[in-house]
Amino acid sequence: MTDRDARQVDLSDRVERYHGVSLAAVMEVIAYLRDPNDSVIAGGSLALGLGNQRSDLDLVVCGESTESSRMPLEHWVDSLRVDVWRRAQRDIDEVFERAEAKLSDDGPFSNAFGDLNEQTDLKLLHRIAFGILLDGPALEPASTRDYHAIARDLVVREYAERMRDLAAVAQLAAAAGDSVGASFNARLAVESALQAAMTARGLPFTGDKWLRERLRQDLPELSSTYAPFAVLPDADEDAGSFVAAAVEACHRLTGRDLSLSAHSGEVMFRNTDLRLMEMGTERFLVSVRHGALWELDDREIEAWRKLEGDDSWRLAALDDDQSSLCYRLHQRGLAALDWARGLPIEELQLEKAVGA
Amino acid sequence: MRSVGDDARRYAWCRGQAVWIMGPPIAQWAEDVEGAAEAGQDGLVRHGATAIGQECAVMIALVTCKERPLPVASLRAAWALERIRDHELWADCWELVRGAPNDASNEEVLARCRRLVDAVRPLVGDVPDPLTPEGYFPALALARDWLKLLDTVGEEGFLPREWTDGK
Repeated sequence: MTDRDARQVDLSDRVERYHGVSLAAVMEVIAYLRDPNDSVIAGGSLALGLGNQRSDLDLVVCGESTESSRMPLEHWVDSLRVDVWRRAQRDIDEVFERAEAKLSDDGPFSNAFGDLNEQTDLKLLHRIAFGILLDGPALEPASTRDYHAIARDLVVREYAERMRDLAAVAQLAAAAGDSVGASFNARLAVESALQAAMTARGLPFTGDKWLRERLRQDLPELSSTYAPFAVLPDADEDAGSFVAAAVEACHRLTGRDLSLSAHSGEVMFRNTDLRLMEMGTERFLVSVRHGALWELDDREIEAWRKLEGDDSWRLAALDDDQSSLCYRLHQRGLAALDWARGLPIEELQLEKAVGA
Repeated sequence: MRSVGDDARRYAWCRGQAVWIMGPPIAQWAEDVEGAAEAGQDGLVRHGATAIGQECAVMIALVTCKERPLPVASLRAAWALERIRDHELWADCWELVRGAPNDASNEEVLARCRRLVDAVRPLVGDVPDPLTPEGYFPALALARDWLKLLDTVGEEGFLPREWTDGK
């Protein structure tokens, strides 16, 4: 039995055991979405050796003339929920080609393949690369590299860049006295480093929520790395040591020094549409876009005055008060955090080489 | 007749965001935690519980403080918890955001999640469960009603940008 056959049998067994439903019944329910010769690929946690009796079944219907859907179409087969994405082959090719181009570029990803919550394109890439073909012809990549390599490298780099971003935010938050922001982002940075390390070792990407189960099941030696960060320090406690430990853990996992001093020249805050308005003795920051005003104290006014005139502020050029104000604006969604460059895989030291 | 007491655009935006979170995101996390607890998947229970703690804190902040915009995803928990520090549900949200200790059983964590969501629901309003056959279309209809209000007052909708191609 091939690996693909074994995985299909496992998926079929679990769907039958959890819901008393056969894969043939599922295919019948979604048949109306298929054109002749369309391929059907099972992805998601159930198809990738995770999941449970409440998990839905994620399917991608793909073909030459299939019309792409941005959101999943929900179906029920008895108690089994089946989410179906329809994608034209050219759209899948486009995502893989875009991924390949981004991987060879030094620019930051900046959520180009889905934001922290949605991850739509990242998941699509892995459903295609690591999913189970249930019916129809196998998809052939249009690009020179295979689907597995591109999907793997994309997740490694995406999560390495997230790690860098989250570690920077954690350190800025700690310096600004925001303990919850600091520890929460520090924990996310470690999780991102683990995702990068895990994917580099060839495990398919199953989204953030399965990280700990994946570690326990497939990489128990990395579970102990996560353990100290599973529970955040008290909300009123200084988060400095927790953040420092997280930065060190990320360094051990990826070989990157993430201390702010190592890359403050590459980080900048960007103003959205804030400007200072003064009415007598009252002074407000105004955002027309958000229809909102913020009062500033004297120290914040002084820091803002030194920022005025520029739309982006390089971290290396900011003093402590300016840096703290920029973080506070970022924490309110009023200033973006940008990077001058991305984090190419070649600059990481992961246990198993990727990107070759 | 009584005024909602807020600028119409701000009220619609904040309540619309909260109603959306009480829909698909909370339903999905609740389903994850329930399923993981049954299957003994401690890691997923804890991840889902953290997400529920964060989403509940954000919903409370939206409907009680009516501040906008929302920050990037990684800062929403800190943003929301800072704003609801004096709220009676702050400790329940923080307990989940912080992460359940190893000695807490999955059933305890699940019970905390259920209690918190039940306590937040009256603040936001009831939203049908979109992950069930009975709730799917009513949830879509409710989302459509809020999107129509947002469009009427000239505010951006709450659907994920990846569903709408950023439109």
